[in-house]
Amino acid sequence: MITKELDRAGFPVALISAMYPVAEQVGASRIVKGVSIPHPCGDPSLPAEIDAQLRQEIVETALKALQSEVKAPTVFLPHMAVSA
Amino acid sequence: MLTVIHIVNQYFGGLGGEEKAGSPVVVVEGAAGAARGLQAQLGDRGKVVATIYYGDNYFHEHVEEAKGVIVREVEKRRPDVVVAGPAFNSGRYGLASVEICQAVAEGLGIGCVVGMDSENPAVSAYREYRNMRVYLLPTAESAAGMTKALSLMARFAYRVGSGAEIGSAGEEGYLPRGIRRLQRTDRPGVERAIDILLKKVAGKPFVTEVPMEVWDQVAPAAPLADSSSATIAVITTSGVVPWGNPDGFKTYRNTFWRKYNIAELGALEPGRWEAVHGGYNVSYMNQNPHYGVPLDALRALEAKGKIGKGKLYPAYYVVPGNQGSPSVMKRIGQEIAADLRKEGVGGVLLVAT
Repeated sequence: MITKELDRAGFPVALISAMYPVAEQVGASRIVKGVSIPHPCGDPSLPAEIDAQLRQEIVETALKALQSEVKAPTVFLPHMAVSA
Repeated sequence: MLTVIHIVNQYFGGLGGEEKAGSPVVVVEGAAGAARGLQAQLGDRGKVVATIYYGDNYFHEHVEEAKGVIVREVEKRRPDVVVAGPAFNSGRYGLASVEICQAVAEGLGIGCVVGMDSENPAVSAYREYRNMRVYLLPTAESAAGMTKALSLMARFAYRVGSGAEIGSAGEEGYLPRGIRRLQRTDRPGVERAIDILLKKVAGKPFVTEVPMEVWDQVAPAAPLADSSSATIAVITTSGVVPWGNPDGFKTYRNTFWRKYNIAELGALEPGRWEAVHGGYNVSYMNQNPHYGVPLDALRALEAKGKIGKGKLYPAYYVVPGNQGSPSVMKRIGQEIAADLRKEGVGGVLLVAT
């Protein structure tokens, strides 16, 4: 609801949410898949430094979404590789 | 014979037009004004025992008082059913009718029938209330459709008042409220689903068993040319707020938003923030508020130049999202957008739980 009002007012907004199918259906335009409902920006089962890296990847994906042209609800999937 | 109370505005009560829109609630014994038309349509099946009317402006300027008086007057007479409107395309009258029906149905458990044009803005309030005892019948746009509307409403009111089983909106012709009810059928779901799928694939007409709410579509805003040159702000519906919840957010159905300062902070220290939200397990968020307001990541990206130096907006916006009514959240979105514009923000991250 809120993101649609922001789009309407001309602000590109990236919604970070685990419930991306609902977000698509409701019509949010830029959607970043969050990890899980109670912790969208990270994963408490990961070691702290990797969780922090994951969080940066999610936020960076959101910034990329803000810079992307979209015509319809679009889901952006964060991805990262962790070397041993 | 059923007993009915008809509730209308000052115009249809016979008092007068706009110049009388400020009049308070009046109760008349028997049928008065448009209620006489309702009585004619009811015939011997029902008796309009009282007509209640109110000024369109009066109602909206004294909502709680007006509702209180009306509910008390209805309670005194305990009718079998209450009829409100038809309001046609009148917004004030339509909304007052929906509010009154909600108050009567909720407070007294009496079924209500209300009529108005399906494009009346009050229809969305009716849908949001989704009260099982209130039925909205679509009518014409103007009072030219009065007789037809009253005929429809009288017939429906008779059924509601006599305790008849009312079927789905599709079958019965009232506007859907989005209530789903379980029904038994004799064919298993898998057969019915395949039937529908075959029709759909063949391009034949089919009827879904589960209609989905249609949401209005908005054109996506233009992208930022470069994230490092714009001011970026964060909004969250996770309910992360400073410890102690200084603005008293509830865990559900909030109606306002707030901004909290993050200007000199590099991170959110656990123990200084808490998550106020009744819709998810807040223990993770309480242990690490960054899951809802990713400040550590934002600062790291600022240091790397993905966000311009000093371009992270120095506060984050929050409203706990649990059970937020769509119209309230829409208003909150508009208010936040106005603030973002005033503050020169360019792009927004919204973290939702």
